[in-house]
Amino acid sequence: MTPASVLASVSGADGPNIPSFGQSSSCVRNNGTFCWDWFTQNWSSRVDFQARLIEHIELTVIAVAIGFAIAFVLAVLAHRARWMVAPVTFVASLLYTIPSLAAFQILVTITGINDLTVEIALVSYTLLILFTNTLAGLSAVSPDVVDAARGNGLTDRQILLGVELPLAVPTIIAGLRVAVVTIISLATVAAFIVPEGLGKPIFDALNAGDFNTKFIASGVLCILLALLADAMFVGLQRVLTPWASARRAR
Amino acid sequence: MKSFSPVGRTLGTVAAVSLAITLSACGNSSPSSGGSSSQQSSGSSSGSASASASVPTGTGNSTLPSGQPGKGKPPIVMGDKNFSEEYLLGELYSQALRAKGFTVTLKGNIGSSTTINAALQGGKIDMYPEYAGVIYTELAGNSDKPRSAAKTLKGATAYENKHGSAVLNPTPFQDADGLASTKAYAQKKGLKTIDDLKKVGSFTYAGPPENATRYQGVVGLKKAYGLTKLQFKPVPIGSQYQALDQGKVDTIAIFTTDAQLASGKYAVLTDTKGIFGFQQVVPVVKKSVLAKEGPAFQQTLNAVSKLLTTDAVVAMNKAVQIDQQDPGEVAKKFLQANHVL
Repeated sequence: MTPASVLASVSGADGPNIPSFGQSSSCVRNNGTFCWDWFTQNWSSRVDFQARLIEHIELTVIAVAIGFAIAFVLAVLAHRARWMVAPVTFVASLLYTIPSLAAFQILVTITGINDLTVEIALVSYTLLILFTNTLAGLSAVSPDVVDAARGNGLTDRQILLGVELPLAVPTIIAGLRVAVVTIISLATVAAFIVPEGLGKPIFDALNAGDFNTKFIASGVLCILLALLADAMFVGLQRVLTPWASARRAR
Repeated sequence: MKSFSPVGRTLGTVAAVSLAITLSACGNSSPSSGGSSSQQSSGSSSGSASASASVPTGTGNSTLPSGQPGKGKPPIVMGDKNFSEEYLLGELYSQALRAKGFTVTLKGNIGSSTTINAALQGGKIDMYPEYAGVIYTELAGNSDKPRSAAKTLKGATAYENKHGSAVLNPTPFQDADGLASTKAYAQKKGLKTIDDLKKVGSFTYAGPPENATRYQGVVGLKKAYGLTKLQFKPVPIGSQYQALDQGKVDTIAIFTTDAQLASGKYAVLTDTKGIFGFQQVVPVVKKSVLAKEGPAFQQTLNAVSKLLTTDAVVAMNKAVQIDQQDPGEVAKKFLQANHVL
């Protein structure tokens, strides 16, 4: 302790020394709308928005990747065995309608306070949209096209991989775009369970002083991330369906 | 306190009912943005009148041990609850223990009282700081209103003992509901205690809407103090200080460690009849852990508790909630200033 801090402290006869904790900018003290000075100080340390952003991307990528793998397999199967459509849609809708906070809280009692809990909940929210869109994409392929392919001697497997799936790409990617944007938004709630992602500063701000800059910084980063992810899928679609671009160019 | 009203205040912005349910018994002490317009900067104890009269100090040895008696002792996990003041408490206790050589992992922001109590009893954590009145009412489920801090502590201790944990020395500060006016108003009317309000005659009292039906609000003020001429003005959660600053009301409902009180502009009136309950903080520690860690462990925690006066905690809350400083850094500065680190 420096002598100065002793002098700065005002205390009773046997009370503790209360040091000066320093003063923040007037924007911070008056809880201004957005305090750049505070944000730049907290970009890579303390709140560490940079690290929170990376965690957020990790949470999202894992959830959408696993969700897509499950939904894709189910959709391909259901495309062949139509009786599966109703039960799978029912279960996926059920999962989709559970309020996210309740889902997280219920899962904690089963899988504990960890990333697994968060990912199970997030994955369950991707299933409905990804399953529905993948199946719709496959079903929308004209029967004439499939017949033509079959007439040319293609097997079912070849038709699926060479005809149906490529034609379904735009619908599947439309589903992925909705799913990824939804999960980027929902993943903020994950911070209710594990202190990770851009939801952490939001929950922290709720618990300590409703500091506007924290809300806005986290929210804006989420929005930017969602826009970027969406743009990437649009780009991916262009790459995967060159014939569509060619048609547009014509 | 620390029941539904503070939650509502914290979460009003998110309109998330399920959140409110799950967080239920959580936290307070987040004076929202609508605070006073002129927060002063001094980190000193500029005069938040202590709401509590005398509170029990506990009987455990509170001499800070010297050296590093914790070296080689088994590691422990400390938890803290889901609001700002608890983050500070977790940092204060864990940093002090580490300075004495103990190996401590701090798991912050575990959840509400019921959640963290389950974590303690389930062995997920070894200790956490809790409010005595919360243990008495919410965890032990007592429905009566203890009339003294001593009785509250006794009930809290009995509950924890029954569940394999010990309650260490309480802090001098407590974070309870309270009633405050501006210093100017208190001086003009000669107010020191809530009882003194009787001589004022008719006066206004602002607080969150639910205060109208709470014993720790309008009901208790009228019943226990006979303040029948009180006019209640419901204000949006968290904007009481604003209403007081703007001269719209005479008195407001507060929490006794609200960061706004650090400005020195307000006078907290003493609750002589104890309607607001008794909310000293006690470290709750598994008995088995206390036995393994040795007496220096307990002494270190008691030494920290002894330092936590209302003025000290209000100053630290202000640094965290208004100046947006890191709870860990604020705790470190405080412990250093008091030779714990």
